[in-house]
Amino acid sequence: MADDKKAPDPPKPAPKSPGFWRETWVRFRRRPGGMLALVYVVFMALVAIFAPAIAGTKPVMCKYKGHLYFPAMGYFNPKWENPIFQKDRFRKRYTPAKFKEKDPDSWVIWPLVYQDPFRRVGGEEWPGQPENPTGADGSPSRYNWFGTNQQGKDVFAMMVHGTRIALLVGFVSMGIAATVGITFGAIAGYFGGWTDIIISRLIEVVLCIPALVLILALLAIVEKATIWHIMAVIGLTRWTGIARLTRAEFLRLKQSDYVAAAKSLGASQLRIVFKHILRNGLAPVLVPITFGIASAVLLESGLSLLGFGTPPPNPSWGTILREGRDTIQQTWWLIVFPGLAIFFTVLAYNLIGEGLQEATDPRLRSDD
Amino acid sequence: MSTAPPVIDIQNLRTYFHTEEGTVRAVNDVSFRVERGHTLGIVGESGSGKSVTSLSIMQLLATSAEIESGSISFLGKDLVRLPEPEMRDIRGKDISMIFQEPMTSLNPVFTVGDQVAEAIVLHQKTSKDEARKKTVDLFREVGIPEPELRVDYYPHQMSGGQKQRVMIAMALSCNPQLLIADEPTTALDVTIQSQILDILRRLRDTRGMSILFITHDLGVIAEIADDVLVMYRGKMVEYGDVLQIFENPQHPYTKGLLACRPRLDTKYRLLPTVSDFMESEPIETPDGPDVKIIEKKLDDVRLQQLMTHGRGRLLHPRDELAAMGHPWEEGHHSPDSTMVPDDAKPLLEVKDLEVHFPVRKGVFSRVVDHVKAVDGVSFNVYRGQTLGLVGESGCGKTTTGRAILRLVNATGGHVLYEGRDVFALRGGEMRAMRRNMQIIFQDPYGSLNPRMTIESTLTEPMVIHNLAKSKAERRDKAAALLEEVDLKPEHLRRYPHEFSGGQRQRISIARALAVEPDFIICDESVSALDVSVQAQVLNLLKKLQEDRGLTYIFISHDLSVVKFMADMMAVMNAGKIVEFGPSDNIYAVPKEDYTRKLINATPRDSLEHIRALQEQRAKLRSGT
Repeated sequence: MADDKKAPDPPKPAPKSPGFWRETWVRFRRRPGGMLALVYVVFMALVAIFAPAIAGTKPVMCKYKGHLYFPAMGYFNPKWENPIFQKDRFRKRYTPAKFKEKDPDSWVIWPLVYQDPFRRVGGEEWPGQPENPTGADGSPSRYNWFGTNQQGKDVFAMMVHGTRIALLVGFVSMGIAATVGITFGAIAGYFGGWTDIIISRLIEVVLCIPALVLILALLAIVEKATIWHIMAVIGLTRWTGIARLTRAEFLRLKQSDYVAAAKSLGASQLRIVFKHILRNGLAPVLVPITFGIASAVLLESGLSLLGFGTPPPNPSWGTILREGRDTIQQTWWLIVFPGLAIFFTVLAYNLIGEGLQEATDPRLRSDD
Repeated sequence: MSTAPPVIDIQNLRTYFHTEEGTVRAVNDVSFRVERGHTLGIVGESGSGKSVTSLSIMQLLATSAEIESGSISFLGKDLVRLPEPEMRDIRGKDISMIFQEPMTSLNPVFTVGDQVAEAIVLHQKTSKDEARKKTVDLFREVGIPEPELRVDYYPHQMSGGQKQRVMIAMALSCNPQLLIADEPTTALDVTIQSQILDILRRLRDTRGMSILFITHDLGVIAEIADDVLVMYRGKMVEYGDVLQIFENPQHPYTKGLLACRPRLDTKYRLLPTVSDFMESEPIETPDGPDVKIIEKKLDDVRLQQLMTHGRGRLLHPRDELAAMGHPWEEGHHSPDSTMVPDDAKPLLEVKDLEVHFPVRKGVFSRVVDHVKAVDGVSFNVYRGQTLGLVGESGCGKTTTGRAILRLVNATGGHVLYEGRDVFALRGGEMRAMRRNMQIIFQDPYGSLNPRMTIESTLTEPMVIHNLAKSKAERRDKAAALLEEVDLKPEHLRRYPHEFSGGQRQRISIARALAVEPDFIICDESVSALDVSVQAQVLNLLKKLQEDRGLTYIFISHDLSVVKFMADMMAVMNAGKIVEFGPSDNIYAVPKEDYTRKLINATPRDSLEHIRALQEQRAKLRSGT
């Protein structure tokens, strides 16, 4: 009787079929909030990738003594900075004056903003630019857009370089969580029985471990904890929701007729799991993954705020917040700018998650 | 027809849906009237607008729908213009409705008695005790055994048929003038269906209630309706007395609809389809696109072809027939039947098949009992035959089919395919065996992977069994398969949701054929389809059997469909085979009570039966 509400017209000769993902994309695109958030995340990703070209004191590209060099790559990995600059006694200070002095024929492409996330930029390094102020004097100015911190480091440069960590934390930790969660959930749901019971209990055990306490314990044990350790811990504790959802999807889909049909066609279990069940069960899992990214970003910032997060001297939004914590009355810019960045990033992921939820929800796709 | 004013009188009703894709004219100029104590049957296939008509009367349309024009006059009041508060008063009190799904129409957290009593308290200012007493009376009236006890039952404690009776009791609670029954028996077994129809007939006659009966099933219409309205694509194509419609249908669509059902006494070997009677051609009208119906005549050549096409019944060998009590004698079997040669080996032997599901209880989930879904089933199928497996829901017919293919694990017995024990095969051997045996499921929406194009659905089996060398070859084969099931090769690039139910079922058939099997289990494969589509799919299955020499096990709850398809028929009940024999004989001379019950419950639409029903009513009326 529900059919009666549908069009009684004969099926129109449809143009080329949109696949599931294309249709999801069409539905997602109709949501302005989600689209705006997606644009924001893509923009952040671009900032993270091109951070050294946006703010830094190392040339993006230069021609020096007849060769092309890319010293800015040193921000990603110190080894990628060519040793020639050390030999020629630049002492990590690339200034236009030095280039002219050592090689008059050289030319240099500089980052957009001559500020460094790791050190205080001194006076006259850049023609006409004064030494960075410190403490309460470091309010936003022409040279320091978001102000400076206690040691005179530029907040804008730190935030631009911190974007990389903010994004990495979300994607790497949820990447780990998704891999572990989908694998366990799929195994539990597909095989059922004892396998299911054991994995379900394991999920409950992991669910009881607070990620924060585990991270603190880990930091106490590991001698030189890096951001990667923290990502691993977040990933290895946050997979339970994903596993549960995947399990439920597998339990449901393995009963479906097309899985029975595949079985009766002689398909192997691997084929059934990957080609028939996983393909259909993946969409709903995307939603908690997106929300998970948001909470991972928040968790990392929180950890950094408490001083357990990204180890110094690497800049992260959370560490800037921490520096501003003690002098909040004088240095409001240390709180406001990273705070807003975290807020908008978390909001963006949540909006994307919500958009995905509605774009993939079968109940809302009633017109199919 | 009497001169008293009709209970409901609908004039030129148009209900349109406004969707993103444009306006859908769900009900397009429909007019009818129902007299007091009469039953109007509205018949049509899915999408014909029959349910929207009933929802228009109740003013329960979705927000996207609107009554564009027309009037619905109920005892002189125009429901279209009635304000909502007054309409609410009429709903449930003067007009009530029963739906298809008794399972979901009742609230699971209240007892059934409370739910009926609530309706009584709501519309008639009575006390709770009084309402409860009335409820018990109503339960007795609709034939619920031990009504005093049953009022305190929760919905899950009752069977589907009993729940539908509760729904009827609820609908009757305020003594409505008009009862709208929207496919009230579609989800029920035939034996229950005939009981419900009995109750409705009796209520109509004793209470003088009018019934608007909506269904897709012409057999049911013949059993209950006085007048019939046939709907097609939102329009009424025929409206008249039931006998007149069955005896002398005017519109080609009605003719097609009547002819395309496999009746228990059918003479056809292939079914006529609606397209034998009419063609539709899209045209542009001032109101938007529409179709023009061009009548065709079913000529004698085609009729002859339908009756004599293919082979007659192919029965079991001589000694097995004799053992069943249907010995090969003159006049005992239908004249065009033949026997499998005496020395033939069965293609499939099922021996004492058992599927028991454990019932677990308690903390340690101890096995306390078994549900014997299949309990010692044995039969043989010979190459080229169709074996019908018929029974009501829960009789174990589907489980039998799935156990043969090892989609559920059998707990006992053997299945031999060409002499090889299927249950003894391991991993790779079993996968190789699966090439021989295929299954086509009931639900055309659930049996295709929604994320795979038709091409990958059809080529996957070829990849699994390495049946083609290259991608191009696989695609060519898939295209050929689509053509074999009357679809077009350009459909390869599409996804399942773009197809109608009948088309999806054809794709499922093509997928089963992709591994070139010898043996296919059709598990309720046409039950979810509209009758006109069902006829096409049944014809297709017969044609494929002929072209490819296939062997079928045809599982269905519908006796007439099984009888049309099957050479031999097994009637199942409670996990066991009750009766096994040539399907013509089982229908003509059933030996077991259960089989007889099943045959008698199947709705009959012979003219004699309709006449008899009408005479019976006339007598009843003149008596009172």
